[in-house]
Amino acid sequence: MTSLGYAKRDGLRRREERRYGLIFLTALSFFMVLFSLYGAQASVFEKARESVLDTFAPVLSVVGAPVRWTEARVGDVQDYFRIKAENERLREENAELRTWMHEALTLRSQLAYYETILDTHLPAPAAYVDAAVIGENGGPYQQALILSAGRDDGVRKGSAVVDDEGLLGRIVTAGRGASRVLLLTDYESRTPVFVEGVGAEALLAGRAGGLPVLQFFAEPPADPIEVGTRVVTSGAGGLLPRGIPVGAVAARPDGTLGVALYADLGKADLVRVVDYAFPQEVEEPAAETTISASEVASLGG
Amino acid sequence: MGELNQSEASPWALIAPALVLLAAILLLSVPLRLFQGVVPTPILPLAVVFLYGLYDPRSLPAPVVFAGGLLHDLLYGGPIGPWASVYLLGLVLISGQRTYFAGRVRDVVWAGFWVVLLVSMIVLWAEMSLLTGAWLPILPAAGQFAVTGLLYPLCAYAFFALRARAGVREEWQV
Repeated sequence: MTSLGYAKRDGLRRREERRYGLIFLTALSFFMVLFSLYGAQASVFEKARESVLDTFAPVLSVVGAPVRWTEARVGDVQDYFRIKAENERLREENAELRTWMHEALTLRSQLAYYETILDTHLPAPAAYVDAAVIGENGGPYQQALILSAGRDDGVRKGSAVVDDEGLLGRIVTAGRGASRVLLLTDYESRTPVFVEGVGAEALLAGRAGGLPVLQFFAEPPADPIEVGTRVVTSGAGGLLPRGIPVGAVAARPDGTLGVALYADLGKADLVRVVDYAFPQEVEEPAAETTISASEVASLGG
Repeated sequence: MGELNQSEASPWALIAPALVLLAAILLLSVPLRLFQGVVPTPILPLAVVFLYGLYDPRSLPAPVVFAGGLLHDLLYGGPIGPWASVYLLGLVLISGQRTYFAGRVRDVVWAGFWVVLLVSMIVLWAEMSLLTGAWLPILPAAGQFAVTGLLYPLCAYAFFALRARAGVREEWQV
């Protein structure tokens, strides 16, 4: 009888302990949310994110393999059914690209000529690191991708990430073998851009859902901005190179100006990380020759 | 409800719930892009927490759920805490109502899951709004939580199948 009473009491005590533990951990997690208001970017968290990314990147690759295989097979079947239309589209695109190729070759020779006569040396073009998309944030608010390339491959924090159409976002976490891209649509994303035609610089601010919005540094340009105007990176801040295509100006439902992105964020599977470094070494102009006393006197009149 | 006998259970049966939670969290990070990305990925970890919290809370204790939530937060690269708090809050809600749900039919338990989803969605939306300093739209979250709610019967079916393999005899609630 006594032992039964002890057992019951022991069971109740353990149950109570579990309940208190649950309440304590729930309170702790809410406290961590509040702490994240000020310390989300603390280096200890950043290190933890990198470690988790490196640890789980191989797992994500393996778990995602069947999904990628299925997607590829479904794509093959879809391609088979629209092969005629696709061929026609590719022929037209090829003809258009040939025109652009000739124009690019002409411009390249002109540029080389100007470089020679002006004795100017443009910075070397940016290099690229190819990477596969092995993961993405499946949550409703944080919009990011996980890539299969990291620091060991030359990926650096802040680098731009592009697909074959345009800018996708920038690297926010670079682990050894994997990295995370914050997409342009994420609420935390801010990208300096340049609106061609009107020559206005602005920030492209992500919105959780819907088009990212244009926020002008100063007064919006006096000339009206046409919908469809091309938007490229401005290079302000030195993190991203200037001129990466971003998208076209589009009207948002609330009346503000947004940007319809060229890159297809929902379908990106192979991307390129732009290995760009802002040119730091600027050649100093040759030292001026000293002016003699007689020249100073003659200048003084 | 049929709880696993901890002293007699095989090691696999003991770690299975934690592995299921881990798999559900990892699956959220795989680019599934259901129906060309139109349908958001369901938040399966919430279903896992709900089902174990209701039918066998001892096999998925709060520290494991907390660790799973932290892993989710770190894997997403965002602020630390939101997903841990959402999962633990789900566990708090369901652990307080276990006696009510005991022996109830499938639809009542499913309705309970919808309530947990609704509370979790509001908490996540409020936390993310607080952290970004602006009122975020609630529709993206509503869509994702709705998909999760609709998939509950499938999750419950898989849960009971897994439990049957682990040797737990219980009345199927789905």
